[in-house]
Amino acid sequence: FLNESMSFIGDEQFEGGNKEKRHREKRRDGSKDRRKRANAKRRDRSRADRENEEFEERLGKREKGRRGRVKNDQEAKKREQEGGAGAQVKSGKTAKVKKNIKNEKRRISEKDGKAGERTEKGKKRVESAKKEIATVKHGTRDKTREEKKKKYKENSEDKEVKPESLSPDELEKLKEAVDEKKKLIQSLRGKPWPMKKKLVTLQETLRIQSHDDQGEWKWTLLMLHPKWMKFQRDFENFKTACIPWEMKIKEIESHFGSSVASYFIFLRWMYGINMILFGLTFGLVMVPEALMGRPYGSIPRKTVPRAEEASAMDFAVLWDFGGYAQYSVLFYGFYSNQRAIGWLKFRMPLSYFLVGVGTVAYSYMVVIRTMARNANESGVGDDNSFNFSWKMFTSWDYLIGNPETADNKFASITTCFKEAILEEQESRKDDNIHLTRFLRVLANFLVLCCLAGSGYLIYFVVRRSQKFALDGFENHTWWERNEVNMVMSLLGMFCPMLFDVISTLENYHPRVALQWQLGRIFALFLGNLYTFIIALMDEINVKREEEKIVKFNITMWEASLYNGTVSENFTASPITIHPADVPRGPCWETMVGQEFVRLIISDTMTTYITLLIGDFLRAVLVRFLNHCWCWDLEAGFPSYSEFDVSGNVLGLIFNQGMIWMGAFYAPCLPALNVLRLHVSMYLQCWAVMCCNVPQERVFKASGSNNFYMAMLLVILFLSTLPAIYTIVTIPPSFDCGPFSGKNRMFDVIHETLESDFPAWFSKVFSYASNPGLVLPFILLMVLAIYYLQSTSKSYKEANVELKKKLQMVIQIMKIILLLPTTVNNWQ
Amino acid sequence: MVSGAIALAFLPLLLTLIIRYRYYFVLFYRAVLVRIWKDCVTGLSREERAYQYVLTHSIPGDPDSILDAFDYWCNKVEYISNIGPKKGKILDRILMEQSPLTVLELGAHCGYSTVRIARALPLGARLYSIEMDQTNAAIAEKILRLAGFDDDTVELIVNPSDEVIPRLRSDYNLERVDFVFMDHWKKCYLPDLQMLEECGLLGKGSVILADNVLFPGAPKFLRYIRKSGLYEWKIHRAMLEYSKGIRDGMAELVFQGIK
Repeated sequence: FLNESMSFIGDEQFEGGNKEKRHREKRRDGSKDRRKRANAKRRDRSRADRENEEFEERLGKREKGRRGRVKNDQEAKKREQEGGAGAQVKSGKTAKVKKNIKNEKRRISEKDGKAGERTEKGKKRVESAKKEIATVKHGTRDKTREEKKKKYKENSEDKEVKPESLSPDELEKLKEAVDEKKKLIQSLRGKPWPMKKKLVTLQETLRIQSHDDQGEWKWTLLMLHPKWMKFQRDFENFKTACIPWEMKIKEIESHFGSSVASYFIFLRWMYGINMILFGLTFGLVMVPEALMGRPYGSIPRKTVPRAEEASAMDFAVLWDFGGYAQYSVLFYGFYSNQRAIGWLKFRMPLSYFLVGVGTVAYSYMVVIRTMARNANESGVGDDNSFNFSWKMFTSWDYLIGNPETADNKFASITTCFKEAILEEQESRKDDNIHLTRFLRVLANFLVLCCLAGSGYLIYFVVRRSQKFALDGFENHTWWERNEVNMVMSLLGMFCPMLFDVISTLENYHPRVALQWQLGRIFALFLGNLYTFIIALMDEINVKREEEKIVKFNITMWEASLYNGTVSENFTASPITIHPADVPRGPCWETMVGQEFVRLIISDTMTTYITLLIGDFLRAVLVRFLNHCWCWDLEAGFPSYSEFDVSGNVLGLIFNQGMIWMGAFYAPCLPALNVLRLHVSMYLQCWAVMCCNVPQERVFKASGSNNFYMAMLLVILFLSTLPAIYTIVTIPPSFDCGPFSGKNRMFDVIHETLESDFPAWFSKVFSYASNPGLVLPFILLMVLAIYYLQSTSKSYKEANVELKKKLQMVIQIMKIILLLPTTVNNWQ
Repeated sequence: MVSGAIALAFLPLLLTLIIRYRYYFVLFYRAVLVRIWKDCVTGLSREERAYQYVLTHSIPGDPDSILDAFDYWCNKVEYISNIGPKKGKILDRILMEQSPLTVLELGAHCGYSTVRIARALPLGARLYSIEMDQTNAAIAEKILRLAGFDDDTVELIVNPSDEVIPRLRSDYNLERVDFVFMDHWKKCYLPDLQMLEECGLLGKGSVILADNVLFPGAPKFLRYIRKSGLYEWKIHRAMLEYSKGIRDGMAELVFQGIK
């Protein structure tokens, strides 16, 4: 207790000392300032005189001062008599007098400060002292007061310091001035500047304050400065608030580090791209068709067939995107093959085709541009040359704001160091390499088995679903109908876990292990996707066979109808048949679109359900069962889940791949994806903050960003391949979609060129598309790419060379710097 | 009816769980299934079987050989959650460093840790060992006699710890406990510690060693020592006794008194 009180006293002392210091500083500054002002006014005075005065002041002998002042006054009188030329000198003298008093005040205040008094008291004392001085000096100054008043009117800025005529009004003013200065100093103290700058600014402001006339605007500017700063800060805040989800991501970043935040930034970027894709398809395809195209029910392709009409509005049918959903703008089959629709003469088929091509082209462009930008940003340093220095100085993540994460980060840095040191040691010796090799081969074998098994399972399921489709889906249960999607989602969810477990066999460095893991998951997803596509191709072929039969039947049906009507009534009126009754072919494009939409939906559902069960429910159980369980649930077996960055990113990438693949046949896919990304942004943000714990194995996200982009590019390429293949090789269905009746889908361009453009244009185009012109052009492009590639390579080499030279120079410098000391040591 | 393909898709999950938590499954098998089976077959309790083995496979009067026999039995034959050889080394080291004169053991079980502590004690030190269960205490007593420790060194108290601790001062004339070893019910760690504090048995520098704070785990206990500020503490991380892959830890607390 004694200790505490002691420390308390000490604190107070310290505080008192502080105050004293502050006090003194203020005074000094003020007096310095005033002195300066006085100096400016009495440049003609001799220096010796001034020193004399100061000596007097220090002695504090009032008689002397009075005598001096009397002398001064006499002088002043004389000078006044002499004329206006002396006015300046007089003013200088008055300034001196003022200074006298001021100095006295300072002394008193210093004394006060030393005694450890509070500032208020000190101030009061100063004021009382001032009063005393004033009364003492009153007698002597009676004579001179009149003139002095005049002079003070001349330089009105000194009013605040005028001590002798202290009416309560002026006292108030003085107080105000002191308060203002106090405020100023307070505000300066709060600034995060170095002391030197603070002092300079203080002097400057005081000087400006003194020169009222010319410096007023400057002063106001300076006073406004904090407000301006505040405004700027507010504006910055506003700008950040305008970036969607910025605050959420920042919060997550502060809790989980940059790797988790990078996923959300990637998600937001994806959302932006999908918004644009959605805008293109929605604005140029769906809306024109819905507004200006033929309405529902006008032609067979826009009508629900008679057989399906009864169940077309059932929820189960709509959930599978059948019924009314199938016969709407959401799918390829609804669009009619009119060349131009509405009063705008909107070229619908052309627009459909160009939007399909344009979305893919835009995606390529954006991905490649982002990759190039990332490469520019990250391609500066190489990680290998100063391994330990990099780790030492750059491994801390300054955005972490959560103690648990900080602990984890600390642990990960320590382990990182340990591993790096071990690596350095192990790079020299190799123990039992055969066992590790064997284990790695075994692990890869197991993974391959797993991949093959999952591939076969999907193939099997798809085959089975085709059989079900032939039987008719109505005879089977919900499980059997959704088997393909369920199996694909489940495999995509669980196989990565198995890979993770298997990879512990390999004993790789965590970073290498992560790359292997990513590669394996990529292979799994890709295998699943392509199995799915191959199965779809089979189905397309089946549908096309069916279509041939239907086409033949339709001609027969039309002929019979025609014959029948002709035979029955002789009026030449056109035969009116309700479009729902017209027989139609199986529209394979719509079928493909439907498959993709179903896949996306089921994928989304599994993601959300996994989130809710795997993360939320688990967190709830762990949290609330921990009180009454026989072991520690939080630290032990189930624990809280970690946020799986790699899995989530890969899921996002493959989801996007499916969108690119299916968007041509189902224009609603980008819209669905935007919805999904929007929901998952909120849901995952919430889930991360609510029920995840920061990862133990932290990996730098900034470096792997381009890795994700590269994967996205690969997926983009791989997903456009099947789409392009189907567009180029398979003829479109004869009775549905914007390209019906054409031999190939891209014929629409040819048709437009022929009919909508002038003749010379199509001629030029035909010349331009001549192989004789196209081939040299392609050759030229290849050469240009090669040239750019080689120059960039040479630049890179030059960079490496320069870096080496830099290192050499550093080493030489080291030697030179070390030389004297070593020589000394030798001596 | 769920189709077989969907069930097959759950196979990776099952494999993952089995591989990841294999040590826990092994532990479950050894500690629960084998025990039930043997109980049914032999009609003896687990502790009695262990005692029989130790009696036949060790040299009487030699604590080391008794501990070795215990370790072998727990490793190869059946499972009893003793402190084990690896964590036992930590215990030995702390005892050597502190050389406490008054030692309190909560939870003797079948006497493994009691022998371990008694073996490392300095001359003239006294160990108070508390065991709740009557049959276990009888076996612990036999083991202790087998190892050659008499009543002067080890005092075995057969009662629940929460009844014994308040009476330690009056019944056993204890002023201060230098060393406390906790290895009884994980839920009792915290109340017993608080009871020790209340009775004033802990002095400045008293060491408390608590086993199994991570698995099965005593989260409340850990939370309390983190918050209370009365202790300097650290956790010795190790593996669970007689098992390879389950992480466990011992908490070492040094009582600092009220600052």
